Order: sequence, then C-alpha cells, then structure tokens
Amino acid sequence: MLIELFNLTKNFKEVKAVDNISFKVNRGEVFGLLGENGAGKTTTLRMLATMLKPTSGKVLIDGSNLLDEPEKVRSKIGILFGGTTGLYDRLTAYENIEYFGLLNGMDKREIKYSINNLLKDLDMNEYINRKVGKFSKGMKQKVAIARSIVHDPKIMFFDEPTSGLDVTSVRMVHKFIEKLRKSGKTIVFSSHSMKEVDKLCDTVGIIHKGKMAEVTSLSDLRNKYNDLDLEEIFIEIIGDKNEH
Amino acid sequence: MNIRYMLIVLRKELKDTFRDKKTIFSSIIIPILIFPILVLALGSGASDMLEEEKRPIEVAIIGNENTSIFTYLKKHKNIEIKSYTNPEKALKDLKIKAIIKIDTNFDETINENKTVNLDIIYDESSQKSAMAKPRLERIIDEYSNKILEERLKALNIKPNILNVVNINTKSVTIKDNGFALMMFSMMLPMLLTIWSAIGGIPAATDLGAGEKERKTLEALLTTKASRVSILLGKYFTIVIAGIMGTLASLLGFLIASKLNPDFLGSGVSLPPSSIGIIAIFCVGLSLTFSGIELAISFYARNFKEAQTYLTPLTIILLIPAYLTMYLDGRAIPEVYFNIPIINIISIIKEVLVSVINPLHIFIVLLWTILYVSISIFITVRMFNKESVIFRN
Repeated sequence: MLIELFNLTKNFKEVKAVDNISFKVNRGEVFGLLGENGAGKTTTLRMLATMLKPTSGKVLIDGSNLLDEPEKVRSKIGILFGGTTGLYDRLTAYENIEYFGLLNGMDKREIKYSINNLLKDLDMNEYINRKVGKFSKGMKQKVAIARSIVHDPKIMFFDEPTSGLDVTSVRMVHKFIEKLRKSGKTIVFSSHSMKEVDKLCDTVGIIHKGKMAEVTSLSDLRNKYNDLDLEEIFIEIIGDKNEH
Repeated sequence: MNIRYMLIVLRKELKDTFRDKKTIFSSIIIPILIFPILVLALGSGASDMLEEEKRPIEVAIIGNENTSIFTYLKKHKNIEIKSYTNPEKALKDLKIKAIIKIDTNFDETINENKTVNLDIIYDESSQKSAMAKPRLERIIDEYSNKILEERLKALNIKPNILNVVNINTKSVTIKDNGFALMMFSMMLPMLLTIWSAIGGIPAATDLGAGEKERKTLEALLTTKASRVSILLGKYFTIVIAGIMGTLASLLGFLIASKLNPDFLGSGVSLPPSSIGIIAIFCVGLSLTFSGIELAISFYARNFKEAQTYLTPLTIILLIPAYLTMYLDGRAIPEVYFNIPIINIISIIKEVLVSVINPLHIFIVLLWTILYVSISIFITVRMFNKESVIFRN
C-alpha cells in the first residue's frame, strides 16, 4: 500500500469537514474521490498534501507518517488544483516550473532535463519562455501540470483538475493522467464528474458530507448495483445516506 | 529552516516583485519624485511671495494731499498711489493692498512736536494685503525717524543717543544657511522613518494576500521547503523593498536639495559613523514593519482587503513623525528614547546635529531588537495558523 488513511477527521471549529474516513491506495492505482461540492474532497486532499493538519486519525504515505515527517511526505507528492492554476503571472512558464523544481530539492541541471522532457509531452515549446500572465486557461493548466510533476513524484494528487477548462484542455488533462498511470504513478483524483471518474479511475471512494459512503473498485461497484450507470449508483448511495 | 530554500524564495520574490510595475511605481518612482515635486511647488509659491515683496505697494490715500507725508509716500519707490472713488471696495477686490488715512492737521501736529495719527487699513484675510502691512509700517517708520532726527537736532541732541545696546547676532552653524539646515533636520528624520516603515507595503500586499488570491500559496505549501523558509524568503524581500524605497526617497531628497538649495540646504556632510548609525536604525524599522505588514497581508482574504488594512499603518506612522518634527536634536527628553518609532526618530535627530550618545543608541538598539523579534514571532505564528492561511 502506498497511501493508507486511518479514521481521518478534520474539524473547522464546530464543522466536521472530514469525518472519520479510512481508505487505502495501492501502488500504481488511480483512486477517485467522488462527491458533491463541499463533501470534503479538497479538505482530504489538503490533509494528504500536508497543507492542513488532521484533527485526529493517521495517514501513512509510502511508509512515512504524515504528522511526524511532513517534509518527507512532501518530497514524494505532486499536487494539481483545478479552477485556478496558481501560477506567477510575471514569471515565464520556465521560471514557474523551475521555481517549484528548486523548492523540491532539484538542481538546475536536473530541472532543465526534466522540463525538456515535459515540453515534448505537453507541447509547450512555443511559449515556455513567455510570461504566463497572458496565457489561455489551457496553456496555464499545462504549465501547472508541468510544475506539479517536474520533480517526478511517486504520488500525484489532482483536485478537480478539469474544473473550468474547455473540451480540448479537459482531453489534454485526461491524456496526461492516463500517461502518468501507465508510467506507474499512484494517483488520487477528486472530482464531482461521474464520467471523469468512470473514465480514469480503478477504485472509487464516494464521499458525502465528510463521511466515506463507499470505497470499492469500479467493477465491484457495478456488480453490487446491478450494472447501473455510475451517476445512478452515486445518487442511490448518497440518497441512502441522506435518508439515514 | 533551510537557508537554501529561503534564498530560492527570496531570489524568486525579488525577481517577481521588481517585475511588477505597480510596485516599481509606488516603491521607487513615487519616493524619488515626491520631494522634488513638493520643493518645486513650494519653491514656486515662495518665489511668488518674493516677487510680491519686490513690487511697489499699491495704496489709496485718504486725506490731505498737501502734507509732507503724502509727498514722501508719492516719491517713495516702493509705493504706488492709486485713486479710487470707493477705496474700501478696491481693497476688497485687491486692486490696492492697503488704504492710508492721513489726519487733516497732519503737518500742523508734527510742527507742534506732537504725536500724529495715521491709519493703515488692510485686509487680514488676503495674504498680499497682510504682507503689505509690515512693509508700509517700515516705510512710515523711516519717515517718522527722519522727523525724530530733525526734532533732536533742533534740541542739539545727537540722534545716536537713542541707541543704547547694539546687538550683533552670530550663528554657530557656519556651513550652509540656518533655515536650510533646520528644514533638513526636520524633514530628513521624518522621511527616513516613514519610508523605512512603509516602503515595503506594496511588496507585502502582493507577497501575502496576493499569493493567497492567486492560489499560488497552496502549491508552495506542498513543496519540500518548510513554512519558515518560505516565510523568511518573503519577509526579506519586503525588507529589501522597504530599504530600496528609503534609498529612492533619499535620492529624491538629494534631487530636491539641488533644485532648491535655499529650501533644503545644499547638503549636509555627515561622518560615516553617523551615516552608519542612521542606516542601522532605518533597517531596524524596516525589519520590524516588514513583519507586521506581512502578517497583516496574510491575514487578509485578498489584495483589496490587505490594502484596506495596511493603509491606516501609514497614518499611524505619520503621528509620531509629525509629533517629533519640531523636536530639537540637542534637547530630546529621555523618555522619548523608550517610545516606539519616536525613539528611532530621536536617534536620527541627535545624529544629524552631531550628538552621538552611546547610552541612547544602546537603549534604542535594545528596543529595536525586541520589536524585530516580536514582529517575526507574530508573522511566523500567523503563517502557521490554518485559520489565517485558509481564511477564504
């Protein structure tokens, strides 16, 4: 197991954003966190990325305890957010990627080599030395992907990575995730899009109101719900939970 | 804390900050321009006043034209007599600067060796009319002294008998003119203190709240760099921006003193030790305020909110700066060396008038170290608080 969560909880004052969730992700697996807006997906990913401290529970990432060795954990992960790409507009695409490479312990030579490989994969040659301020959303998302993967992390977290993107950019992100899967990366992927999860994930965790409603492989889920469409399965699960 | 990561953040933030036109404008261009513009504006106002002093005073005279005083005033090069049917209205409209009313029996009273009355009517609300009043008084005094001299001569008394003490004044300040030096020691501490403290505000706004708003902070927090390394890299960027703002304002001050040496002096030469002391305390002020500004900026939800919180800081700083503007560098009360901000202004004022008091320097240095420590402590705490960083 590369990622293990045990009874993870996060409270914001009286609000339980994440309530006692547990799941495991195998090496090389694509794990989809599926849930509505405000279900607790981003808070879970933020805890896994060491940005937020859990209120209780335990997380092991590649054998390192999240609370005891946060810096060690951070060296093994990359994270990509959707909606806003989080880039520095006054820096060039190269400078943006290089900055995050340096902050992940790489030297300039290693970064150059890594960026050259990413340029081919993401087709960014044309604008790599231009300031990102005037880039389109799709171009920015490519730079953000490159920035999150430049240090070649074992684990990638994607937090709604296609949110607000056009069809072409969504396809590009999906292709890139497929490529990462093929290269053996472990991916935790949050989305509220059933289609996306269906297309990309091996295992799915359905999160609702901070609680993990279901964790299983996509094939087991379909068997359990008589080959229903994922959207209908989702409605059935969260409907059950709402009734309870 | 890892110094390597801190330096990476510092280098990147400096590059990013000084590529921002807004920051360049508010941290460098404005401080360079503000003093020369101020001095040129004040200078042109002052030269208008000087011109007015040189021009003959337009007056209307009411009373007997066949008097010695009328003839005296008519002949005087600094008086221009104008005739109006309604002199009061002409004064209100500032066509004349004053009205002189001469007694009907003016000459007769003088000839009888008595005191005669003469009225000067002027408009106190008009600067030009108010300026004419003392000039007219001097001209009438000259006339009066002439009559006095004649009266004494008629009594066989030497006129200089009225001079008992001859006062000679001499300033110990030999270089430059006194007014310019006074302006210099009044303005420079204020300018240095304000810019050292607020020079980093544009950078602080961008590096804290700006980073939160752009969502770049979240990505930054997932790198190997510790939070303290990231924070210190940002903190020293703001300190450097503050120092650059101070240097830019100093450059502006020098340009202003060259543009108008009468106003600010042609420059005061300070020994290197004095410059060193002033520099240390200015940097101390930058170190203190950069921390506070960054903490406030991180607390703010976005860029606009940070600007709202940080603007009052400028006004708060202006209070001690103005309070100490007229403080005499040679007679600063001891308690002033223990009041935040005022103590640094006091040290700069002392050094500018060549007073180097080791005890005062030591006291203020201790206070400054304490302020810097508190400021960094608060900023680190703020940056480690989830409720602050993820306040959105």
